[in-house]
Amino acid sequence: MRRRISLTIAVAVVVLACTAWLTAATWGQALSGEYKIGVLEPLTGPLAGEGKRHLEGFEVVRDLINERGGVMGKRLSFVVADVPDPTAAASEANRLITRENVKIITGTFSSRLCGAASEAAARHNVIYWETSCVDPRFNKRGLKNVYRTEIDATGFGWYNIDFIVKHLAPRFNLKPNELKIAFISEDSSYGQGVTESAVARAKEVGLQVVGPVEYYNFQTINDMTPIIVKLKQLNPDVVHHIAYTNDAPLFWRQAREQNFLFKALVHAGATGYGGSDFGKAMGNDGNGVFALLEPGPGFKLESLKPDGQKIEKDFRDAIQKRTGSYPLGAHQLAGGGLWLLKVVLDRAQSDDPEKFRSAVMGLDLPVGTMINGWGVKFSETGQNSNERVQHYMLQWQNGQLVTVWPEEFTTNRAKWIPLGPWDQRK
Amino acid sequence: MDPARPLGPAQIDVFAQLGVSTVLLGGIYALIAVGLTLIFGIMRVVNFAHGEFLMLGMYLAFWAFTLLSLDPWFVLFVSIPLFFGIGVVTYLLVMKGVIHASHNVQIFTTVGLSTALQNLALVLWSGDFHTVRPWHAATPIRLAGTAFNLSQVVAFLIAIGLTVLLVLFMRWTHTGRVMRATAQDRDAAILMGIDTDRVYRLTFAIGIAAVGAAGVLVSPLYAVYPTAGLQFVLLSYVVVVLGGLGNMMGALIGSLIVAAVEVAGSYYFGTAWKEIFYFVLFIAVLVFRPAGLFGQRGAENLGV
Repeated sequence: MRRRISLTIAVAVVVLACTAWLTAATWGQALSGEYKIGVLEPLTGPLAGEGKRHLEGFEVVRDLINERGGVMGKRLSFVVADVPDPTAAASEANRLITRENVKIITGTFSSRLCGAASEAAARHNVIYWETSCVDPRFNKRGLKNVYRTEIDATGFGWYNIDFIVKHLAPRFNLKPNELKIAFISEDSSYGQGVTESAVARAKEVGLQVVGPVEYYNFQTINDMTPIIVKLKQLNPDVVHHIAYTNDAPLFWRQAREQNFLFKALVHAGATGYGGSDFGKAMGNDGNGVFALLEPGPGFKLESLKPDGQKIEKDFRDAIQKRTGSYPLGAHQLAGGGLWLLKVVLDRAQSDDPEKFRSAVMGLDLPVGTMINGWGVKFSETGQNSNERVQHYMLQWQNGQLVTVWPEEFTTNRAKWIPLGPWDQRK
Repeated sequence: MDPARPLGPAQIDVFAQLGVSTVLLGGIYALIAVGLTLIFGIMRVVNFAHGEFLMLGMYLAFWAFTLLSLDPWFVLFVSIPLFFGIGVVTYLLVMKGVIHASHNVQIFTTVGLSTALQNLALVLWSGDFHTVRPWHAATPIRLAGTAFNLSQVVAFLIAIGLTVLLVLFMRWTHTGRVMRATAQDRDAAILMGIDTDRVYRLTFAIGIAAVGAAGVLVSPLYAVYPTAGLQFVLLSYVVVVLGGLGNMMGALIGSLIVAAVEVAGSYYFGTAWKEIFYFVLFIAVLVFRPAGLFGQRGAENLGV
């Protein structure tokens, strides 16, 4: 009997091994040759940390794509260029197009870089596929072959105010017109874009906007105390702070020192409070901060459509395997965007700008079908729509960013509403 | 908010807090600028890599804290001889070759060194932001309506101490006199039998030791990352020009002026204005008092 079992197991192992070998062989045959696209990332300079994670997200999804038939029957491969600043973004885009002959360029993580990079690509009539920058001007320049998979900053502002009005105000027992909100922001096009749209939306829905928007340069700010002293006098319920890098821990540490008490702080994007460095810097002292992002821990796979569940799960597992943790914002933006590029290329079967464009415009997929639970519906300007690119509110809870809103997508619930004294947020 | 509002207790607290913030921020700027002004004043070299040595000091504190759980205040004692050594080595490998070259060559060399060090840090330690959080950084002190933390106070006191020590050293020791003589007239100093090469080596090493110590001291206050130095170094030039090239006391007072402009400007006009204010001040000083507020007339041309 025992021998029979071992024989069965041995046969099973051999069969499995053969299948695996056969499958690998079939894929090997199907993918003849390489298809190169250009990838622009800030790998040195102040954005290097996020740029590297963004590239990691691209690489993981490139491998998922190649395991699933590649693009246009070929293996997808990257020509990567380092673009620490806008000048480099433009010149490297030119180089990839003229020297490496790429027909599609993607990137760039940052709103500081995407404008210059896409402008250069557009001059050569090459497809520019942006996955992360949120500058609202990006799709308003009449450039025909420039696309963006992520929502723009106006969408961030829209979601943030929606969260404050629908979720926070009731839990503070305040009507929207009783809720006082103050705005501070770093002054790049990213911060300004999100903040201006949030201010406009806040006024529309009748929140009390206190004080002027406090803008600062995130690369040179060394002391936030004057801002905090000013804010203390305005006594807002909610602080809407768009931070970029080290300005987030600086504000949080000094607000704690000054014992500045407010009921909630809301941020948007994978930078500042939305980046993993904030959690590492603050640990449990960062508890309670909200950041609008792609979905994090707590995100329910079951809330997605079947296709979406499968690719989202494979994506998460692949990131987990590579980095040992749940996907971070930069991974998700890159991953979601690159997967969508494959979906478009599967339809177009060509990198001809006209055929590519009609494939993009023809896509109409509901929320929950893609990585991050996104859907797809591009406007004529090449922008994926706010309603389809579902965003989620995450909160720092004991060193981890977890999904807390909209509640139908998550198993976690927002805590510390309103925020208590600084030493009682454990 | 409104300066015309009657002076109530709340307003007085605001002034007190702004005053405290100015003094403490000024202390940090002084800590960084003292080494720069020393190198500037004696060697007549604009060290564009100054901020990168600050960054290296911050990384030293970070790794010592993360790997060995050493408090930055302890690391300070190690950092001074260590950075003195780094200064000597950098001088021998890099600065010695260009010390007699034109200013352009010196600028290109130090800018190159700066970029090389930034990228070395990036390759070795990635672009992530790190933080050092010893107990004193997380300890707020509340005093008469103002708040600050212990790390800042200590950084400020050490800045004062360091400046005073350097001033005394320059004024009263033989080595200090030799250094001043070299700064005033290199050729005459050589004729008097002074080994100027040794003076430059010592100056550079002291300057780097000072900024390395500054990096260790500011590490609990600011994030540690490869381009952390850039955040402060531009400011240090303003401070150094304001205080007078090579004038250590001037650097201390210049730091306080810059910090006051920054804090008051941020509070009354908005933070976006702060750089406009202190660069206008910078240009005004260059136009009306090119030797700086406390520098000797004509000192800006010495040795140039």
